[in-house]
Amino acid sequence: MRFPVIGLVAARELREAMRSRWFAMAAICFLLLSLGLSMLGLAGAQRSGLAGFDRTTASLLNLALVFVPLITLTLGGLSIAGEIEDQSLGLLLAQPVTRLEVFAGKYLGLLAAVVAAIAVGFGATGVIVGWSAGGGDVRAFLALVAITILLAAATLGVGTALSVGLRSRARVVGAAFSIWLLLVYVSDLGTIGLTVARNLGPGQVFVLALLNPVQQARVLGTLALSDRVDVLGPVGVYGIDLLGAPGLVAVLVGALLTTALLTLGAGYSLFRKAVVQ
Amino acid sequence: MIRAEQLALVIDERRILDRVDFVVARGESVALVGPNGSGKTSVLRCLLGLVPFVGRATIDGHDVVRDPIGARSLVGYVPQKVAFGDARAGEVLTFVARLRGVRRDHVAGALRDVGLEDHAGERVRTFSGGMQQRLAIAVALLGDPPVLLLDEPSASLDEEGQSAFFDLVRRLRGSGHTLLLASHRNEEVSSLTDRTIRLDGGHVVATPVATPNGARVVRIGTRGERR
Repeated sequence: MRFPVIGLVAARELREAMRSRWFAMAAICFLLLSLGLSMLGLAGAQRSGLAGFDRTTASLLNLALVFVPLITLTLGGLSIAGEIEDQSLGLLLAQPVTRLEVFAGKYLGLLAAVVAAIAVGFGATGVIVGWSAGGGDVRAFLALVAITILLAAATLGVGTALSVGLRSRARVVGAAFSIWLLLVYVSDLGTIGLTVARNLGPGQVFVLALLNPVQQARVLGTLALSDRVDVLGPVGVYGIDLLGAPGLVAVLVGALLTTALLTLGAGYSLFRKAVVQ
Repeated sequence: MIRAEQLALVIDERRILDRVDFVVARGESVALVGPNGSGKTSVLRCLLGLVPFVGRATIDGHDVVRDPIGARSLVGYVPQKVAFGDARAGEVLTFVARLRGVRRDHVAGALRDVGLEDHAGERVRTFSGGMQQRLAIAVALLGDPPVLLLDEPSASLDEEGQSAFFDLVRRLRGSGHTLLLASHRNEEVSSLTDRTIRLDGGHVVATPVATPNGARVVRIGTRGERR
């Protein structure tokens, strides 16, 4: 594997992503919503006297948990499927590059694009709120940015694997939205339903929650923002009791990284044998 | 220079190629001919490692599966359908030049060779089919690879473009390049190749048939009679 070649493919992918209308629209929406939330947070802080930075960070966590998987699942999903469909992938793979270099470069280029969107959205918000409200827990804010990037890495892996597996833009978009709904909205309801129907214990609910990268990021973000155990919910409380706070953080970070690596591994195993027109 | 041994390709349970053997000698120009769906393009895709095939294919001794970089660094490829995403013409060539370790100042020359020097900053998706085809030819020629795989290379070109392309290929043949051309256009085959290999239904057609330039269709795996 040649890292300069991966860098070349990544730079090309980053440039293509930045030019994509869908990505530009999603990044602008993310920026506007981040700014909107920060303005609302500031207005509330002026009335209630609460620290603007912390309140805004908590709002941004919820925004990131909804928005980042949506961007990454679709962006990752459209990347390879789009090039298989328009047959530009064949011309790239006809060059002296390996499939691993192309796959890794594409993933890293897309991740760089998403990190740039996150940096712009959160960066602008951080500067505005920090300037207006001052103070606050900057470390918690930076932790939130890091957690969001981890979540992006995991869900982008899922999107990239979908892209190779489904090979068509239409199928990928449908699957990406379905998975997004499942991760962000349906999984909570499913876990509750399963818990009631099967009378699951806290350990089983904890394991179920660990299967969802959005839940992993939610608990991690909450841990970064608050010292109070009760705001973590039953899964977080069980995790803290079982592992302690540092242990829970390590397990959740490990779970997000594992999700990224497993999905990328699955995607690459399909990609290396894929028929390319 | 190009060797294919017992190439077999099955996609979605459909047999595309069945035990295809052939050799193209260094400096030879050979046409793959046959009706639509006969497997011409699939042979080129096997040689580029784009499809998972059974058998063995080598370019100048480099196995296309075990040593894909070594094999593909010797090959320039012009696909039948050309697509470059949302990139500009200059960006496409600069990217490929860097992948191939070719100096970036060769990019301008490659664009000039195909008459696109005034379009380097334009998006390729705004190009006509012929301009995109010419850009694909420029991409294939970057770094002057000794082997060219051409899949219906002049199909989208107008008369002037075809004439310029034919001149270019004749120059390449004169300078010792090895060409494998998939085509069903008689004029292209007769003007640009020394011999032909006829495929039908993924098999080689054994019966020798004279082509317009006097070359003969031969069974793959045997050397054809040269003009």
